[in-house]
Amino acid sequence: MTDTDHPVVTSRALVKRYGSHEALHGIDLDIPRGSVFGMIGPNGAGKTTTMRLLLDIIRPSGGELRVLGESPRGGGAGLRRRIGYLPGELHLASRVRGRELLAHYAQISGRVRPGAIEDLADRLGVDLGRPVRTLSKGNKQKVGLIQAFMHEPELLVLDEPTSGLDPLVQQEFHAMLREAKAKGQTVFLSSHVLSEVQQTAHEIAILRAGRIVALSTVTALRENAVHHARVVVSEPDASAARAILARVPGLGSVTEAQNGPGTVAFSTTLDSHVDAFVKAISALPIVDLTMEEPDLEETVLRYYDDRPGTTDHGASEPGR
Amino acid sequence: MSGVLPLFRRNLADTWRGLVAWTVGIIAALFLYLPLYPSIAGSGQMQDMIDALPPQLVHTLGYDQISSGPGYTEATFFGLLGFAFVTIAGVGWGTGAIANDEENGQLELTLAHGVVRGQLFAERTAAVLVKLLWLALVSFVVVLALDDPSELGIEADRLLAMVTAFFGLTALSAVAAITVGAVTGRRTWALGAGAGVAVYGYALNALGNQSEDLRWLHDWSPYSWALADHPLTNGWGEQTWLLFALTAVLLLVGWLVFRARDVAV
Repeated sequence: MTDTDHPVVTSRALVKRYGSHEALHGIDLDIPRGSVFGMIGPNGAGKTTTMRLLLDIIRPSGGELRVLGESPRGGGAGLRRRIGYLPGELHLASRVRGRELLAHYAQISGRVRPGAIEDLADRLGVDLGRPVRTLSKGNKQKVGLIQAFMHEPELLVLDEPTSGLDPLVQQEFHAMLREAKAKGQTVFLSSHVLSEVQQTAHEIAILRAGRIVALSTVTALRENAVHHARVVVSEPDASAARAILARVPGLGSVTEAQNGPGTVAFSTTLDSHVDAFVKAISALPIVDLTMEEPDLEETVLRYYDDRPGTTDHGASEPGR
Repeated sequence: MSGVLPLFRRNLADTWRGLVAWTVGIIAALFLYLPLYPSIAGSGQMQDMIDALPPQLVHTLGYDQISSGPGYTEATFFGLLGFAFVTIAGVGWGTGAIANDEENGQLELTLAHGVVRGQLFAERTAAVLVKLLWLALVSFVVVLALDDPSELGIEADRLLAMVTAFFGLTALSAVAAITVGAVTGRRTWALGAGAGVAVYGYALNALGNQSEDLRWLHDWSPYSWALADHPLTNGWGEQTWLLFALTAVLLLVGWLVFRARDVAV
């Protein structure tokens, strides 16, 4: 590969319309080679649409899109052999056995190392001797993962890959992602919740109603996440604490409650500025201090619906 | 990576059970009908029965030629039971080629691999046509085998003309289903188009049979293009080529649209 410095996926002002409904309103993406990139957003935000555009299953209505240096349409079959794709809604209705179905997909894929299919099946724990249509949802998902990983593609595009998988298999899947990254493969995965991508992805795009509303690393997200803090002081210090907390920047509303005999508890939230907060309250004789681990999910949910002029009823969503 | 025509072979592997069942059905139908000919037609009973039927019904069923061996074979099998069997089989396969696969969500995954749209369209169409060709060949062989014992008096070159037209007629319905599936991605539309072409052709032909004034309707019926000249009696029909021409046009439209459109939306 000569283009190691170039992003594996780039899009500029990428637009997708279905008739009069605009599903993507101009997406700018850069997915660096060798990274694990997560895309999260509520249902209908445009995650599946974005991924289908990469595979040339649907065509852009406007803007630019390059995958592994080529346009999805121009790259054709040769480009898709370098990609492994797991659709968001995987349907395997065939009566053929898992092994036979995967052998078929191997014929129309990039080169599959002998034994690769069996190795993956062992890791994920799925019986390839059974007709695929008799498999449970989770086991079908495993067959889907195998066909995406088996030819060790340069780019893995995985739409909600952990849906239907039990926690143990999810762990195995996360290990597969880390190994893929170690081998220099690039992973683009989506989910509607952050917890599924935060363990493996370092960069995250938050998609909402066809727009990227935030582009961040998990670390940065954590820094900006909502912290819940609770400060307990003895009753005589309460007024001093009240005054100090009123001056700390970035603090949410402060609630005050009696906390057993002779002490008062102040509960609040803070966006960032943990350092400023701790330094400010260090002037007080503190009885107890609790800082909860930031809830990233809560941070992300604010992006999902906390936009001016929209409500959470969904009625204002489509086709603007 | 090994192997040529992977989608063609996959399609045949997925549908061989149906092919076996239809093959058995066609053989059974021919063995049921053709050996009856000497006992019915030879005695003149058949003509008496036909004369007793309302003429409109006789014209609709195409039974006016039934007193000869070729006419009997054409009216009972190629124009009726065989036509229905192979059309149903072909429209089913045609609907399965793209529309069904797309609606149940499996086409998306296949197209995400190292294949191109035109290739998928071509290989799956070829698989459907090969299966229809097989059923036509089975009909040819079985009719030929039963010709002597059933005293039908059918000539091999005329049988070839008949089977060619029969293949063209059933292929047209199947390709209509493939193409409408390729254009719309909808199972019911594909099925409706395939069945619609067959029913439309049959109905128009039956109307055209009713009187000399309505004969011109035959020019607009694919069923008439295949059967109105009675190829089993008279040899190659003048309009048989229209079946293949229209099939080719449909294939071209389906191929062009399928390459350009969004899949799985």
